[in-house]
This record gives sequence, C-alpha cells and structure tokens, in this order.
Amino acid sequence: MADKRSLVVYVVDDDASIRDSLALMLGLAGYTTRLFADAESMLAAFQPDWAGCVVADLRLPGLSGIELQARLRERGSAIPFVIITAHGDVPAARAAFRAQAVDFIEKPFEDTQLREAIDTAFALETDRLGAAELRRADEAKLARLTPREREVLEHAVNGLHAKEIGAALGISPRTVEVHKMRIMEKLEVRNIAELVRLRFR
Amino acid sequence: MPISAIRARPYVKLRSYLRDAAVFAPCYLLLDWVSYIYPLGPFNITPWNPQPALAIVWMLFGGWIHAPVVFATILVADIVVRNVPLAVSVLTALLLTVGYAAIAEALRRGLRPKPGLHTLRQLTLFIAVVIPGTALVAAGFVGALYAFGALEEIFAGWLRFWVGDAVGVLVTAPLLLVVADAEGRASFAALARRWDTYLQLALLAATLWLIFAGLGGDPSHHFYLVFLPLIWTAIRHGLGGAIVAVAVVQMGVVLGIHHHPVQGLPITELQALVAALTLTALYLGVMTDERQRANEGLKQSLRLATAGEMAGAIAHEVNQPLTALTNYARSGQMLIAAGRTADLAAVIERMQAEAQRASEVVRRLRDFFREGRTRLERVTLAELLESVRKQAKTDVLTIESEQGLPDVLVDRLQIELVLRNLVNNAAEALDGAAGKGVIALSAQRHDAQHVRIVVADNGPGVPAANRERVFEPFVSGKPTGMGLGLAVSRAIAEAHGGTLEAMPGPHGEFRLVLPAGAANG
Repeated sequence: MADKRSLVVYVVDDDASIRDSLALMLGLAGYTTRLFADAESMLAAFQPDWAGCVVADLRLPGLSGIELQARLRERGSAIPFVIITAHGDVPAARAAFRAQAVDFIEKPFEDTQLREAIDTAFALETDRLGAAELRRADEAKLARLTPREREVLEHAVNGLHAKEIGAALGISPRTVEVHKMRIMEKLEVRNIAELVRLRFR
Repeated sequence: MPISAIRARPYVKLRSYLRDAAVFAPCYLLLDWVSYIYPLGPFNITPWNPQPALAIVWMLFGGWIHAPVVFATILVADIVVRNVPLAVSVLTALLLTVGYAAIAEALRRGLRPKPGLHTLRQLTLFIAVVIPGTALVAAGFVGALYAFGALEEIFAGWLRFWVGDAVGVLVTAPLLLVVADAEGRASFAALARRWDTYLQLALLAATLWLIFAGLGGDPSHHFYLVFLPLIWTAIRHGLGGAIVAVAVVQMGVVLGIHHHPVQGLPITELQALVAALTLTALYLGVMTDERQRANEGLKQSLRLATAGEMAGAIAHEVNQPLTALTNYARSGQMLIAAGRTADLAAVIERMQAEAQRASEVVRRLRDFFREGRTRLERVTLAELLESVRKQAKTDVLTIESEQGLPDVLVDRLQIELVLRNLVNNAAEALDGAAGKGVIALSAQRHDAQHVRIVVADNGPGVPAANRERVFEPFVSGKPTGMGLGLAVSRAIAEAHGGTLEAMPGPHGEFRLVLPAGAANG
C-alpha cells in the first residue's frame, strides 16, 4: 500500500534556497523529495506512475505553477498540487482555487502548514491509488470468465431472472443457474448485489 | 534675541529690561525722525509712520510690560523731533501707547500659536486688526489735539494720521515679523542668494524712477506700473519677496517725493495707493507660499506612494529568504531532536546566507525611505523582462528582446515596478475591451546611447487629449485608482536619466527609454 515512503513530494521553485531548504526540512520529516527549478524540466522528466504531491511556486520562469498543473491533467495525471507564492494576491489565490489545488500557501509559511497540506494531498493520493489497485484486481477476475459466462453476467447485472436470461440466450434456466454459480465463484462474490458492485466499480 | 526669555517670565530682571529698552528706543527715534515728513502742524501727523510697527511688534513679542518704555520713547520723540508742548505730548503719547498695546495684544491672540504671516487666515487677521486699529488710534490722537484746540482740520488730520500709521504698520510690521523669526531670516538669506531677486529690485527701482522723474507730472497717474514688478516678485518669491519689494516701494515713494517735489501732490492718496499695493503683494505672497507648501505636500505623498509600491515589491523579495530561513530553522530543530548535531553547522551556515540576503533587501528599503536613493546594478534586458513576466498578474503577456542589446544600469526593483505598473495598467485596459487581449513587452535599441522598452496592448489606448495628463498625479482612469502609478513611474524613469511616454496610436503603447549601461555589458 502507498505511504510516505513510496509517495514523493515534487518541489518546483526557481529559488535555489527555497528548493534546498524545503528538501532538507521535508527530508528530515521523512518525506522523499525531487526538485525542479521550473515547470518545463518537471514536465520533461514526468512519468505516469509518479505519485505523491507537487509543491509548486505560483510564479515560475516559463509556465506558472497553475499552468504546470493543467499540463499534467492533460496528460492524464491526477497528482495533487499545493501552490505556494510570495505574492499572495487575491487573483492568484482564486486561480489556484479554480484549478482545485489542495492548498494555497503564502510564503513565508509554518512548516506545519505545508506538512498538513502535503499530508492532505497524500491522503487523497492514497485513496486514488487504492481505488486504482482494486479496479486492477477486478479486471483480472473478470478476465477469467468465459464468453458465455460474460453474457450471463451482463444480463444478470441488468436485473434479469434466470428464466428470462435462458430465453434470451436460448439455454435452459437451470444452465443459467450453473453459469451464475461459476461466475460468483470466479469473481469471489457471495451474492448478486456484490456482483453488481464489482461490475460497475 | 532676549525676547523669548522675557516672554517666559513676566517679571524680568531690570537689567535685561533696560537693555531691551536701549535697543528699542534709539530704533524708534531713528524711524520717527526719518519718517517725519510733510507733517500737519508741529504734530506727528505724517503720511508715513513706520515706527508704530516697531512698537506693536515689540509688544507683540515682549508683552504689555514694555508699554512704559514705549510711552517714554514716544514722549522723547515728540520733544526731540518735534518740540510739541509737554502737556499735549503726555496725553497723546499715553493714547498712542494704549492703542499700540491693544493692537499688539489683539495680534498676539489672533496670530497664535506662532506670530507670523504664514497663512491666509493670519494675513487676513493681521489686516483686520491693523486697519481699524490704526483708524481708532488716529481718531483718539486727532481728537485729543482738537480738544486742546491745537488742530483745526480734524478730518484731514485723522485721514493723514490713519493712512500714515496704517501704511507704516502694513509695510514694516511684516518685515519685523520675518526678521524676528529664525526661519524668516533664513528665507531672507535665501532671497539674497538668488540672482533674479536683484533683477526684480532693479526693475522696481527703475519703475519708481520712471514714475517720479522719468515720465514727469503727477506720479500717482502712473503708479499702477509698480504693480507689475511687485506682482512678479511676490509670485516668484512668496511672502519674503513681497515684503522686501513693498519696503523698497515705500522707500522709493518717500525718496521720490523728497527729490522730485511736485506742487499740490496728494501725498496721502499716494500712500493709500501704497497701502493697496501692499495688501495685494502680501496676499499674493502668502498664496504663493501656501501653494508652494501644498506642492511640497504633494511631492511628499508621491514619495510615500512610491515607497508604498516599493514596499510591496520588496516584501516579495524579502519573503523568499525568510521562507528559506524558516525552513532551515525548522530543519535545525529536527536535527537536534534526532541528535544529529554534527549536521547543524551546515544548516546554520545556510541560515546566515539567507539572513544576509534578507537584510540586503531591507537595507535597500531603508535607503529608499531615507533619501529616495536608487541602487544601480547592471541588468540584462532579457532578465528584466523575464522577471516582469514572472510577476505579472496576467497570462496574455508575451516578451521579446532584440539580440545583442547592451545591459542597463538601473535600480532593478524600481524599473521592475515601473514595468509591472504598465503591464497591470494594460491588463486592466484589456479587461473591458472586446476580443482576445494581447500585451507585448519588448526591448529594442533606441539609439546609440539608449534602449527602449515598449509595453503595447491591443486595447483602446490612451485618448490623445489625456496623453500627458495621465502622468499627472491624481488623474486616474480607474474608479479605484489613486492616479499615482504613472506619475511615480515617470518620476522613476526620469531619476534614471530616461523618459516614459504614452505613444499615439489606436492601441495602448507606453515607451520607457533608458540609458544603456555600457557598450558591451
């Protein structure tokens, strides 16, 4: 399961001292960090399996922190963002809010403030990764079904009874019951309700 | 001056009291003797009486305690200068002393807290006290002489005495008030150092000569000519100039009458003209001073506004090292908690560097507040534009700088402030405009010695009529604007030896021209 060790804080700030001090402080607090001087270098290095949280300065040379977030979203990444700024103006805060950043923090900040934001981001990330893992497991189970079993499953989750399914597929209701038993075995569920939940997860 | 010591204690020591009297009495006698011209009978009914001004100002600063000296001096003057019968002299000297003391007291109360003619209110009060006050004194004086049977023409006598006293006080008292004040003396000294003062005095003298000798005939016919150099002086130099000019006119009139006597010359009428002239000049002078002070105030608020904007820019600069410092400090605490004290040295070293960086910015701020000093550094234009783009509150800004531009030698924070201001103005101008807004910030070579930074937008631009007005303080196109941004920006550009202009055209364009630092930066 994902935790502090497998999640990374990606710091994007053009101020070398801020990067260095954040890396030191967060490192001592047990976080893994990766540092970037601007949005472009982070985008160039980015991998889809990166997980954790991005702590980005609002104003950067080139793309801004909020633009960086938009680019990552375009590339299908849902990695949470914490925006920091030394300007602290209202329009910037509004833009960060609209972009659904986890938090908008003004420099200089208390370390607890930043760590709370990072932890909130990590919790979101953990949920997101957990859900993804579950979905992958479901996919694997569904792959075990035969084509006939999959047909029966589709009808069953649509709420048809064995009799109706049998009529639709040209087989006896009894055979349908056998298929259903098999399906529930393979998918490791106990009843139709769980079956429906798994199918639509 | 011993005056302040006397004010502090009403019961002064006899010695200093007598010393003051020894200064006052000869001055009074001298003024009386000099101005004893064209008298009516043997009495001091003359068209020019500066000595009451001395008595009034003396008692204004010193208080009623000086009244006995004033009384004695007036009495001695009558005996020495005019040979008036003693009984009449005692009565009239008493009347005059009481009258001048009352005027002095009224002025002391009215001109509070500090006697002087610094404001229109003070000047108006001065005139409102002096003119009726001298009229009453004249009535008492002439009435007493009439009661003694010493004077026949009661109305003519009263008018001449009144005009003589009023003109004397109006012209001389302001001069004495200025001389009694250290600030006033400094303003006179400043006046003496300006070359145009002498030009104006020469022009005044020439005009007076023209009136009394050059043009011939009744001098009062051409008297209006004096107004021209007088007004010039008052407007140019304020109250100080007006006071000196009026004194010169008065001396000129006295000398003119003396050296170019004209039969049947209405001297009293001429002196009434001098009084009108004096009032005009004093009012113009005070108004000029007040406007000057208002201007100074505006300059001050301009500097404060610049300082405020600078403070905003500097707050950002200071926040960066402060953030790093906070982080390092927290790291240090965690190292101590973990027992890794050996690693602390490196952290503390970095903290020192950050503190240094912050204090550097603060020092610049302090310098700016202290004397508006600029701190020049060599900056490449590409860096400058990039920094502005980074801080801009708009996302429609593009930057472009020509290849091979020389560096500029500027106060980076101030020039960034100017450019940020221009970009923000452009962004606000685009807010209301239709279509997609574009702001372009570009740097080009202007001529051999200058580079040009252009902030252009595709908004409606500044209307031709307002192109210069927008640089005036408190002229704002924004409902919430103080209208100081562009005024401050131009001031900063000019402080760098550059210019800032709004360019004509269908769209917004501002040009900042700066001197190039050196040929190859």
